[in-house]
Amino acid sequence: MFGKLKSLLGGAGIDIPSPVAGTVVPLAEVPDPTLAQGILGKGAAVVPSEGRITAPADGTVDLIFDTGHAVSLTTQDGVSLLIHIGVDTVRLAGAHFTVCCKTEDSVKAGDTLILFDPVAIQSAGYDTITSVIVCNTEAFAAVRPIRSGAVAAGDPLLHIDK
Amino acid sequence: MKVVEYVITDDYGLHARPAGMLVEMVAKFKSDIQIASPKKEVSAKRIMGVMSLGAKKGETIKLTISGEDEAEAAKALQTFLKANL
Repeated sequence: MFGKLKSLLGGAGIDIPSPVAGTVVPLAEVPDPTLAQGILGKGAAVVPSEGRITAPADGTVDLIFDTGHAVSLTTQDGVSLLIHIGVDTVRLAGAHFTVCCKTEDSVKAGDTLILFDPVAIQSAGYDTITSVIVCNTEAFAAVRPIRSGAVAAGDPLLHIDK
Repeated sequence: MKVVEYVITDDYGLHARPAGMLVEMVAKFKSDIQIASPKKEVSAKRIMGVMSLGAKKGETIKLTISGEDEAEAAKALQTFLKANL
């Protein structure tokens, strides 16, 4: 009974805040099939309005790519997140990205993980749309976006039912 | 048991897209499939593990396949690796 009550009150899940400010769009709109088709997991995308990625929750950095275009972390609730900035941005080989964390770092919600220059990335011909993906989607009952339109870093973006 | 070794020739290494494609491909097989970089060995069926290898151009990855469809999986992996990494 308490479980039911809790789920009615929204307490039985985990909210994942946005790691970046911008405009929320469905993951399916990311022009990269691996990300858009949910092969890596379910999630949402944000068209960034600023060039700062922050940790959405307390956790550990599993891997920061040397190129700074993506970071994966596991939150203290056991959610494996991939934050992937842009499409094909691996090809920039680190240009316009500044890595602000190390693999295996413990991070707190709001800590800066990556800084990037959205204007320079777009000028180089790349989309900056940022995918936020729950890589262990199969470990949960459901993963769903809970916001559309404008989002600030730290605003709830995804809800996970345990 | 089958073992497939491959030296990565892709300039960008085993980044998110090929890692995702690899995990999707190996999920089709019943065999247990492990992937190792010079750093560590993880299940090839879990995306976070595969990405965390951080395998780069010039590094050798080793796949160890055990199960009823291991021969078929090894063949498919060799083709996949040549085409995508």
